[in-house]
Amino acid sequence: MKALDFCLILLLLEELCGSTSGLRWLALATVGSVDHIQKEEACDTLSGLVKRQKKICKRNIEVMHAVKKGAVSAIDECQYQFQNRRWNCSTVDHGSAVFGNVLNAGTREAAFVHAISSAGVTYAVTKACSSGQVDKCGCDRSIRGKSPQGFEWAGCSDNVAYGSAFCGMFVDARERAKGRQSSRALMNLHNNEAGRLAVEENMKVQCKCHGVSGSCEMKTCWRGLPSFREVGAMLKDRFDGASEVEEQKVGSRKKLVPKNTQFKPHETQDLVYLEASPDYCISDPETGSLGTSGRTCNRSSKAIDGCELMCCGRGFNVKRRVVDERCHCKFHWCCYVKCQQCKKVVDEYVCR
Amino acid sequence: MAGVVLETLSNRKLLGLVIGVLVLQVVAFLIGGLIAPAPNSATSLLATKCLGEITEPPLRDWLEPWGQNKCVSIQSIDEVFHDKELVFAVRFPLMRENVQLDMSRWFQNIMAIINVEKVYKNRDLAFPATLHMDARLGYKNKGDDHWTELVRSTETRPLKCEPPEIKDDGYNYHCEVLSLFELGSCHHDYYLVNIRLPMQGGLNSETGRIDDLTLVEIHQNGGFTRVWFALKTFVFPLLLMALAWNAHRVRKLDRQANLLEKSLLCLGCTLVLLDLPVEWLTLWMHMPFMLLFSDIRQGLFYSVLFSFWIIFTGEHLMDQLERNRLVLYWKHLSAVVFGCICLFVFDMCERGIQLQNPFYSVWATTVGMRLALAFIVMAGVAGCCYFLFLCYMVLKVFRNIGAKRESIPSMAKNRRKFYLGLIFRFKFLMFMTLLCAAMTVIAFIIVNVSEGYWKWGADNTVQYNSAMQTGVYAMWNLYVICLLILYAPSHKYKMLQEQSEATRE
Repeated sequence: MKALDFCLILLLLEELCGSTSGLRWLALATVGSVDHIQKEEACDTLSGLVKRQKKICKRNIEVMHAVKKGAVSAIDECQYQFQNRRWNCSTVDHGSAVFGNVLNAGTREAAFVHAISSAGVTYAVTKACSSGQVDKCGCDRSIRGKSPQGFEWAGCSDNVAYGSAFCGMFVDARERAKGRQSSRALMNLHNNEAGRLAVEENMKVQCKCHGVSGSCEMKTCWRGLPSFREVGAMLKDRFDGASEVEEQKVGSRKKLVPKNTQFKPHETQDLVYLEASPDYCISDPETGSLGTSGRTCNRSSKAIDGCELMCCGRGFNVKRRVVDERCHCKFHWCCYVKCQQCKKVVDEYVCR
Repeated sequence: MAGVVLETLSNRKLLGLVIGVLVLQVVAFLIGGLIAPAPNSATSLLATKCLGEITEPPLRDWLEPWGQNKCVSIQSIDEVFHDKELVFAVRFPLMRENVQLDMSRWFQNIMAIINVEKVYKNRDLAFPATLHMDARLGYKNKGDDHWTELVRSTETRPLKCEPPEIKDDGYNYHCEVLSLFELGSCHHDYYLVNIRLPMQGGLNSETGRIDDLTLVEIHQNGGFTRVWFALKTFVFPLLLMALAWNAHRVRKLDRQANLLEKSLLCLGCTLVLLDLPVEWLTLWMHMPFMLLFSDIRQGLFYSVLFSFWIIFTGEHLMDQLERNRLVLYWKHLSAVVFGCICLFVFDMCERGIQLQNPFYSVWATTVGMRLALAFIVMAGVAGCCYFLFLCYMVLKVFRNIGAKRESIPSMAKNRRKFYLGLIFRFKFLMFMTLLCAAMTVIAFIIVNVSEGYWKWGADNTVQYNSAMQTGVYAMWNLYVICLLILYAPSHKYKMLQEQSEATRE
């Protein structure tokens, strides 16, 4: 049954593919079960992958599970970070791409989704490497030669090096596949890289002293993965401070430079976008905006989640509801939470 | 007091020696910095959450996180069925580039740390919390079919976690790392760790939900071990020759060796013990006590070195008092001995017991922690006392030198020569010692700063940490070799004395 569903989605996706977004591979997140991606042939049936990505998929079939997980966590994180904004990163069930048409234009939102999905893959592949699920993770950066001599001589490099490199290969493939680099491709590549950097920047250095009697005469440090929420929060910050850019020819190569020359040029870790975002107020199939009608808003807030801004001045309805809430929860090892049910009256404000 | 080689050595020979020592010193730094990799490497290993049968005793069967007999694993602990048991399993080393790596005997020792990952969601952490674990460590060698148990133990660790800065779902608690085990040898090819968090009788209720365990495995790099062995093997015969030469000189004296000469020989002997490259044997034999043995050797060397400084300063006090007896230094030496005994007891409590149970840690229980801290504080106090004594004595020597300076021109030729020699000897050692001590402190700071502060992405071609380890090691060896050569009794001096006595007659 699931397989049938899956095939249907595939057909749909194949039909409607063809627009500019480099995010089609995120459709991996919709693949029903993990078992689908275990044989090389599965790669051909996967939706949203370009030829090059399918090739990478076949060659790295064991990594694809992690890629799928990365895509799922990227979408989850996007929805968490944008839950209080007019565009709330909602996925569309029927349509050409995971997010509908919204990301077809080179907006801030598109920049964020590229960055978070690239970060998601980096994160998931790194995690898969360190748990031993993937046998082909790299062991480079050792000074002398390759493994196993390299491992014996100087140990292996961080898993994030492989995670980042694999992500660079897979996620960037669509943009790199096109011979001529459009400004949109440049933007996507830049934001993908920014996403990978956000993971590396958030790595936490921890150290341990182990000299004579445990003194700090000998000290070893390593980097640990952060929670993905921290990566998402950092990228959300970068989304807020993203710079608008335009394409410029520097020598024989094209480059992105700030539109407003008075702003200082963006750096590798910053997000960049080409077009201003629509206001996402009303449903518009052209832009893919779903509108904010029916969204709940926060009456006391003056920010974007406040009813004034969220409902674009259309006003809101009040719904009074009695909800059952879990309260006085206690966790029992392992693994369930015991809670009491409390009744609570809440007012919900819904945009007109 | 007899003259030493240093006084009678011609300037040319002295310069030659100094240059030779400096060259060796620079070479030692460069070997560490350019040839050796970093001293240790750490690998983060995310524990796989395996589902196992509930057995009595717990952890009866080995659960492998990956490989041919892969366990049934789950993604999140919410998926645990009630008739199964959750076991965190880690196996190392991992597969890399489709090659099964194996632990090499060159790694010398293995240390493991665990990192608890707790999502800040249920806010269910009590404080103070204690983590209870059933832990089991096993090994397998190439060609073995089954895992062999190395040790199993029930352990507790204090779990100290800070809530995240942003108190929101999805962020992790910041938990302090917990030491898991320490192995003094790396004799086998593959290792497997199984950890179960028991729940009977309300155990682990205060730790709440633990989402993931990350094990960080730290071992000495094979490349560093090779360089280290080579350095030791090279330095050992040099030191042995210097020691033999010094002993020969002392034996040729027509009097009994004095205290200073004896303590210098003693210093040489402890360094010979420290340098003795018995580590080579670990490549063939299983020697889990090497970590403890190295600690004891180093402790012994440093305690004798500290005692030597006291005796040397005391013997150069120039206050006409005949010392030459160890008993007179009991106050100073007891500070050294006491400090060393404290550290020895602490080390025995940690690494000594780890010989029996690698999972053991003194820091795991409050009593043990207080005891360990008490010993370390006592050792620190003894160290401070020692340092004050030494400073006081050195000041006294300098005061006496000042006083002697004025009366020196009016002295008889022989007496003048005696005192000038004494002063030169003392100042030379002071200079050398201060230089070495300063270098050691600088190295210590560099090790601590360079490790904590990382520049990622840039390939480290110069390994500061390794350079400091080999450099400091070579420095103290060269220091002792110099002492053994320069402070050996001089026969030239004796000849000169005999000549002058003959002319007087």
